[in-house]
Amino acid sequence: MDATMPMTNQKAKKVGGTKTVILSVISTAFFVLLCALVVFPVLAGLLASFRPGRELIRKGLALDLNVKTMSLTNYAYILSGNEDSIKYFTWFKNSLILTVVTVLLTLFFCYLIAYGLAMYDFKGKNVLFFIVIATMMVPFEILMLPLYQEIIGMGLIDTTAGVVLPGICSASTIFFFRQYMISLPKELMEAGRIDGASEYGICFKIMLPITKPAFASMAILCSMGSWNNMLWPMLVYRSADKFTLPIGLNTLLTPYGNNYDVLIAGSMFSLIPVFIVFIAFQRYFVDGMTVGAVKG
Amino acid sequence: MKKKILAMLMAAAMGATLLAGCGSSGSSSSSDSSDTASTDDTSKDQDSGDGSTENADDPVVSTYGDDSGTHLELWTFVDVHGAFYGKMVDKWNEANPDRKISLTATTYPYGDMHDKLLMSLQAGTGAPDICDVEVGQFPNVVAGEDNWLYAEDDAVAPYKNDMVASRLETYQGENGKQYGMPFHVGATVMYYNMKALEDAGITQADVDAVVTWDDYAALGKKYLDAIGNPDGKYFTSVDTGGTDWLWLAMSEYGEDWTGGMGGKANVQLESVKKMLKMQQDWLNSGLAEVSPDGHVDLEAGFQNILDGNIVSFPKAMWYMSRFINYMPEEKGNWYIAKCPVFEAGQKCSVGIGGTGTVVTNQSKDPELAADFVAYAKCSPDGEQMIWDDLGFDVCNTSLWTQDDFAHNTSNQYNTFFRNYPYDVLASIKDDIGKISVTKISPTINEQICTTTLNEVLEDGMDVDEALQEAQDAVDLEQ
Amino acid sequence: MFKKFIYSKKVAPYVFVLPFILSFAIFWVYPMCSTIRMSFFDIKPAGDIFVGLGNYRKLAKDPVFRIAVGNSVRYMLWTLVLLIPFPMLFAVLMDSNLVKAKGVWKAILYTPALTSVVISGTLFRLMFSEYDTGQMNQILHFFGFESYKWLKNGHTGMFALLLLCCWRWTGVNMLYFLSGLKSIDKELYEAASIDGATGWQKFHYITRPLLKPTTIYVLTISIYAGLAMFLESFMLWAGNASPHNIGLTIVGYLYRRGIEKNQMGYASAVGLVLLIIALIINFIQLFASGTFKKEKD
Repeated sequence: MDATMPMTNQKAKKVGGTKTVILSVISTAFFVLLCALVVFPVLAGLLASFRPGRELIRKGLALDLNVKTMSLTNYAYILSGNEDSIKYFTWFKNSLILTVVTVLLTLFFCYLIAYGLAMYDFKGKNVLFFIVIATMMVPFEILMLPLYQEIIGMGLIDTTAGVVLPGICSASTIFFFRQYMISLPKELMEAGRIDGASEYGICFKIMLPITKPAFASMAILCSMGSWNNMLWPMLVYRSADKFTLPIGLNTLLTPYGNNYDVLIAGSMFSLIPVFIVFIAFQRYFVDGMTVGAVKG
Repeated sequence: MKKKILAMLMAAAMGATLLAGCGSSGSSSSSDSSDTASTDDTSKDQDSGDGSTENADDPVVSTYGDDSGTHLELWTFVDVHGAFYGKMVDKWNEANPDRKISLTATTYPYGDMHDKLLMSLQAGTGAPDICDVEVGQFPNVVAGEDNWLYAEDDAVAPYKNDMVASRLETYQGENGKQYGMPFHVGATVMYYNMKALEDAGITQADVDAVVTWDDYAALGKKYLDAIGNPDGKYFTSVDTGGTDWLWLAMSEYGEDWTGGMGGKANVQLESVKKMLKMQQDWLNSGLAEVSPDGHVDLEAGFQNILDGNIVSFPKAMWYMSRFINYMPEEKGNWYIAKCPVFEAGQKCSVGIGGTGTVVTNQSKDPELAADFVAYAKCSPDGEQMIWDDLGFDVCNTSLWTQDDFAHNTSNQYNTFFRNYPYDVLASIKDDIGKISVTKISPTINEQICTTTLNEVLEDGMDVDEALQEAQDAVDLEQ
Repeated sequence: MFKKFIYSKKVAPYVFVLPFILSFAIFWVYPMCSTIRMSFFDIKPAGDIFVGLGNYRKLAKDPVFRIAVGNSVRYMLWTLVLLIPFPMLFAVLMDSNLVKAKGVWKAILYTPALTSVVISGTLFRLMFSEYDTGQMNQILHFFGFESYKWLKNGHTGMFALLLLCCWRWTGVNMLYFLSGLKSIDKELYEAASIDGATGWQKFHYITRPLLKPTTIYVLTISIYAGLAMFLESFMLWAGNASPHNIGLTIVGYLYRRGIEKNQMGYASAVGLVLLIIALIINFIQLFASGTFKKEKD
């Protein structure tokens, strides 16, 4: 019995005793240290958001914990209901809606596609998988102009459909689901068929529940990507009342000077929703879903 | 279980933030003008609500003017520009009741607005009626000439005699037609930290006596000697990330590295060599340092000025707004003077930067759009607003010497500096040179800013050698 | 009859993948063809001029493009070295019962990815400022060194880029591996323990092979993301112009040509070359790892 193993399971814990405790302290300390490093720039940004933008220029990104010089002015400004504040929350709301729509549709379609690719053998499957991978490698910048023309031609300009549709079958999401699913036991499908379930029933009722961890990580990833995506929504939307948060915040950075007050505070504030998504989904990583399902 | 509660709490918080947003938009209609004023102002930090209200009902979609008027769409990349056009629409509608306009101004992120404009022009659909174009991007847009844009010659005709001719030329196509309207001259002047200089025993008269770069360097030496040549203090800083100094030098000698419209680009100019060699000498003698962040118009540049590490630098007059926005504590310290020259009698300034406002040929009523743009950007009414709201050195010279314009103390720019900016501008009226912005400009700019200036000023490379390398790179593209 | 057809085991997979086929046909085929066509033209406002292989020939001789490719490839290789093994180990460690308060650490490690590149790039630019107030210089001062111009030297510039990248993506990659670990049956470890396997043996013989699909996924996206990196560099140098082009990447060059100089034809050629490089590297990798083979369980 070797307890130096990081992923030591329950059994080892009982046997290991003090050795396990020490290891536990060390590995926890390791993550504390890592997090301290990671949190540093976020903290610096957070502290900067409590000070006038001018301070940022005066002192740089100082890690100044002096509470006396901090104030909620920037946040009060964002929440004040004035013109900038209304703009900010319109962007915020638009981003939220766009993100929810994008994530739901993307997860649904990508799961289906990946399911087809991972669980069946059919003619043209490898060609299709090849294309999925290939579309992942195309830099969006070169497709921008023709795609923009196409969207105009289809009359989808300035619509949410125009923003969402081209990205719904996200190659990287399909790829991730596919990679996740090929390691799932196929016997479950056979068992389902014997029980008289249809192909679609198997897909949704048997396989979907055990794919939850993949859904969780893709939900987090997609919402993050959608929340921060700017280029394409910017091209499709023409009316300022449809602008999303990244577009709006970027208008605060101009060659004629940056509006640091709203920019930093606004960016920090905009972390909240994606963070909530993360907290909401990350619990799926804690309990091993697969094991239970396969055993059951 | 705990996690579930946490997630629910977070979800509640998320709902609350949304509600806060809705709540604030609900109260928007009753919000008073003091809130709006601060957005009209270039500076967000200032609480003084002296701006006027705009009559936009919905602040998200900024629609101005009269609903019954012809509807025009405008794109810009600076929020305050949009507000400026909004105010001008009201003035225009008052003056032209038979040609009323309703204007929607949309602010896009800087780089992306230009992408989107170019794509829309290329696609032949989707472009706005009017668009602000940054001068560096202008060659790409003006390349379309009549295929993409509407010529503004007729519109600008009434004002043409009063306008700084070189600034109009900057926004002309190769065919000589006027496609863009300027906001400002962008005249390069010398900013001196007079307070710091006075502490070192240097008077305003000493500064005024500077004519040549030799005088300038001598003054710098005097200053540094007076403060005891401490580490980290310099007279000025030279740029590795900007070409302002080189533009100034070219203007002084009447040279132009782009070769003008249809010309051949040549960076191996006498003026450029002289300036770079002079800057190398300054770096060696400790008179100058290399600007942190590459130029004075970025965070570290502002810090450097605020810390008093440099006490003079040449920059266009629009830099005044940087003082107002980022360095308000410097009020009353700075003095504006004309730039030194290599040989007495040379031009001592050059127009730098700018935004050309174009009318696209996709516009429903391009004539109206062009007339409005000319009115907003060239007429005395418009120029007054540009000076008061945006703080630019306007192109309409007839106003430069008018007392109620140039010396009006209700304008914050007139009171910030030790002298009136327009007094300096009027004194150099005939000395403002022009460097063309053409198709080759981005190539030259990129080569000089990424490579040449770093080689010369950071690595101490031989000037002729570095310029030869730059010329070779530029030649690959022409 | 129709229902039976749709529900048959033969047809079902095609129904599953239909959305992708549609999306590909509508949103990919035309833009791709258009881009390939453009790469053979000089795109002018007055009309396109056919230049044949002119753009590609120019590209082959373009010294700045070579710098861009060099930077992108170097960056990509470094991200592979830094962002696959370490997040995998972190995930395994995190998955063990040794670490306490896991949720907190996961949340914190993941936070950087939530910030937009625009804001995090700006924060890093200020941290790496050559001015004395930059955090990196403050650290140098603490150890008694002089301020350093971090973003003016190729090596420290790359270091800044990689730090930004690791800061943003370590948490995300860890997440991928964590969800991969969830598909591994815990009983395998128990069985191995009973057989007397050491920790390393368990990692080597169970964790790593069973994480292979996830690893391949992370590898594939990392190769492309590394080669296509642009915004990070754009924000770190406050624009596309970095001293001696130390921060110029392939997509940065595409942007410079296509947007800053409006040479869409040439930019299309740059983009297609990037596509080909990424495809070649990835398909070698995917074939070598057997991802295209029929999986045998």
